[in-house]
Amino acid sequence: MSAWDIIIAEAPRFFTWWNLRFLFIALGNTLIASVAGCAIGYALGFLMATLRLPQLMPIGAVRAAAILWVEIFRRIPFLVLLLLVFFLSQFAKLEAPLWVIAVTAVALRMSALAAENIRGGFETVRPTQWEAALTMNLQPWTVLGRVVLPQSWRVILPPSIVHVLSMVKETSLVSQIGFIEITFAAKMLTQRGFSALLTYGTALVLYFCVSWALASFGRWLERRLTTRRPVSRPAASLLPAP
Amino acid sequence: MILQYGQVWQYLPDFLLGALTALWIAGVAFAGGLAIGLAGASALSFGPWALRALVTAYVRFFTYTPQLVQIFFLFFALPEAGIILSPVTAVLIGMTLNAGAYLTEIQRAGFASVPPAELDAAETLGFSRAQTVWYVIAPHVVRALYPALSNHYIIMTLGTSMAAIFGVEELTGRALNANAISFRSVEIFSIVAVIYIALTIIASALLWLVGRWLFRVKAKVF
Repeated sequence: MSAWDIIIAEAPRFFTWWNLRFLFIALGNTLIASVAGCAIGYALGFLMATLRLPQLMPIGAVRAAAILWVEIFRRIPFLVLLLLVFFLSQFAKLEAPLWVIAVTAVALRMSALAAENIRGGFETVRPTQWEAALTMNLQPWTVLGRVVLPQSWRVILPPSIVHVLSMVKETSLVSQIGFIEITFAAKMLTQRGFSALLTYGTALVLYFCVSWALASFGRWLERRLTTRRPVSRPAASLLPAP
Repeated sequence: MILQYGQVWQYLPDFLLGALTALWIAGVAFAGGLAIGLAGASALSFGPWALRALVTAYVRFFTYTPQLVQIFFLFFALPEAGIILSPVTAVLIGMTLNAGAYLTEIQRAGFASVPPAELDAAETLGFSRAQTVWYVIAPHVVRALYPALSNHYIIMTLGTSMAAIFGVEELTGRALNANAISFRSVEIFSIVAVIYIALTIIASALLWLVGRWLFRVKAKVF
């Protein structure tokens, strides 16, 4: 039988209400793990990015630790990180549910990527602005919140959507510890006897749809944020208007 | 429970050999991806609309779906269509196609960095399209994109860890084997994590040196 014959013969048996329900729950799990992991990861990454700002953190050792954190979690493959979190939680006898392990691993990985992204955003603001604001006796945190962030969040936001997208794809590796997300669901359906063409094909289509929606949202956001007026208006001209 | 690294050090030489496997898998897939990417980026820049649509569809498909599921599809679904791949072949094909899609996107951005005057000059000199791509555009692309390309090579080196899922005995695969024998999971995977960190730092440093000497790229790779 050719591939198409297999798909056509099995499709009515595959696309039943219960299988579709199972796949949609799995899709929800994928989204929950990646979105929750990204949210926590972004909070952690923001902390790491601010901790390495010399204007905010006078202690060199803490800055170095923040850089080390980023370099370590950037350079461990997600699969190894996931297995490490999984085995560490067993080792510490935490009995953490699988989704907690999945979210933790995604958050750790994301914190490194987010810290780099946020640092890049901070660097778009010239250091002279920091100096000016600090000279005017503003608190460093006020400078960050009132001067730097209002200018840099437009640079930070669009790549972060790309990061969520890449995490949606990375969570496919969480299937290895048995968390029921799309890939694991496809694997289970394959083991129930459905054709791998159909199960993994459906998984690919589901991932594609989610990523496509996210990527379109990211592009829309980028267009919207980059075409609007700049935050700081140019100083009023001393010359009379023509 | 205490961590006992003493039982695990014996696997270290085995792991280091596995790291070499990871490096060559990433290298082969990266080279293949670079070639696909150059062809894809040329097609996107100069091809007829049908070819452009085809390349766009390819790039979209491979960048919007997880590499793991792509390789699952190659490894488990293609046998039903009569194509049987060995684990290493399936991983290599999957990673190459995946890298090709990303590197098409990256190189297309590099094509835009070529000054139009040089393209005009190439046309005046009677260069063919292929010659223009190879002699005029490629050097620019390499220089402008060297940091992005080396970064992608690092990402791919990390990505080889998913070959373990298909039974390829690279670094993570050997770690899973050692784990199955000794049950010293935390010890083994922490060592493996450190090897990956060292491996990618060495690779980054080498890429930085190569970029410095061969292409005079001053941008930082780290």
